[in-house]
Amino acid sequence: MYGNYDPPFSIEKEGISISVEELEKRWVYKRTLGTDTVEKLILGDGKHIIISPVEPLNTPKEITPNLLIEFEKTLLLAAGARKKIFLTFPVEIGVFISDKGNKNLQLLDVLTLARKKFTLYGPVSNGIICKHWKSGIYSVSPSPNPLQEGIMELFLRNTTSEWASISKAVFSAYGMKIFYDSDVFMRAHMDILNKNTAETGFELQHISGELKSFRPKEQETRKEAIEIYNRKLDFVPVSLTFDMRLGF
Amino acid sequence: MITYIHFLDFSPYSTSNGPVTMGDLLKFVLILSFSIIISRIITLYLRRSFKDKVSKDAGETILKLFYYGTIIIVFIAILPLTGLDPSGLLLAGGITGIVLGFASQNIVGNLISGVFLMIEKPLKIGDQVEISGTSGFVTDIRIISTLIRTYDGLLVRIPNQQVFTTNITNVVGYPARRFELKFGIRYSDDADAAIFLIKDLVDKEPFALLNPDPSVFVNELGESSVDLIVRIWAPISEWAALKSKLLWAIKKNLEENDIEMPFPQRLVYFHNVPDKNQTPEELKQNQEKEIESVLNYGERVLT
Repeated sequence: MYGNYDPPFSIEKEGISISVEELEKRWVYKRTLGTDTVEKLILGDGKHIIISPVEPLNTPKEITPNLLIEFEKTLLLAAGARKKIFLTFPVEIGVFISDKGNKNLQLLDVLTLARKKFTLYGPVSNGIICKHWKSGIYSVSPSPNPLQEGIMELFLRNTTSEWASISKAVFSAYGMKIFYDSDVFMRAHMDILNKNTAETGFELQHISGELKSFRPKEQETRKEAIEIYNRKLDFVPVSLTFDMRLGF
Repeated sequence: MITYIHFLDFSPYSTSNGPVTMGDLLKFVLILSFSIIISRIITLYLRRSFKDKVSKDAGETILKLFYYGTIIIVFIAILPLTGLDPSGLLLAGGITGIVLGFASQNIVGNLISGVFLMIEKPLKIGDQVEISGTSGFVTDIRIISTLIRTYDGLLVRIPNQQVFTTNITNVVGYPARRFELKFGIRYSDDADAAIFLIKDLVDKEPFALLNPDPSVFVNELGESSVDLIVRIWAPISEWAALKSKLLWAIKKNLEENDIEMPFPQRLVYFHNVPDKNQTPEELKQNQEKEIESVLNYGERVLT
């Protein structure tokens, strides 16, 4: 389903129906998912429609830029250890309209097949609202439905001299780098800094040392997804990493 | 050069404290000018710092107070250079101050409360608050008063002294809040099934937070119903919409599953002691009469 389309077109997959048809010299965008229907008029010719995975923080409403992935089982990481694990994350599908050459992108619609749920990270008095996702921990890359779930390669690094017990990881949408092809993929890192604090971030920002050697392969074979949050970065000066100061 | 030195030493007038030279007057002018320039620079710097942090009206008032206050203090401090004794001025100013103080007690109180409100920041522009029985959005925090737009769209001006000294409930002070829904079901209904259905509905709602977790439980065995309570935490921006949505959704869902909310009801038993000499036929006739009288009473009431 992901890719570029020239109107008129119509596609249908996994219960999602997307079409752009010409009606009375106007283009009509129509999307149906279950009982949810979106219809928009497009005034302009020679436009592309791009369907791409986007940061999973736009549906049902954009209320937080943070994604909390809860592990199905608590993970214990030895002191000083560096390990790679695979998780899953929810996928949201963005529909964009653009001029030729993918210029002047405009978001038309966002939808998802994944479960939508929010949670609070930390206590009520100073916690942070996060989008919630529960994931299994895999030692090899899983093969989920790319329209519903993506694969996150997570590099864990325990910089302390004690065991670290990890049950969740929080990521900021600012800095998320999503790639897609036959799957949807993200590479992230989580550095345990002390008993209660960890830092999370995405590829090209903090991967160093031996982890760097893992980097380019997927990037060459997969296409880079369109980022909704990173496009806002010109206007919103924010940190690209997330400091988990309220436990992990 | 000599002419210049003579000019500075030249005394145009004398006071009880001694002669005042042109040099003293020049010093007075220079210090005053310098302090005006410095005050202007600091005011400009503060104006930039206040941008987006303090409301424009309040910021401008603070800046004016700072600017003129600095100049007045410097002016009084260097007044002896001109041969004038500021103690007389201070005495007169003191008396004037006391008179003005009494006259403008409330204004000064509001002003100082406004400054403390800006420092303590119990509320900020855009917050939803309840102050002295007024609920709404804070639209501006001024140096003397705070403006509230009520949920009905009315503008309410509350003096800062009242805001500062009263209880402020900031509805959006924390990222999440809890709300409660109450339901009563019939005694004949399965409360466990009702709890399961409600939990399932809550779980499907994206904005019903997973943590802190929601709770559904039997709260009371009431006169007419088994009373259930549902407690849900939601993001502060979404709780009101979620509350009204869930209230109706739960009601409909329970009814679809044959779990009903009973009306208040009371069972009344009439106990008649039969006359031992009455035959069963007489007894039946009496009972029919009683029922008829009750029905007639109902009719009378209705008409």
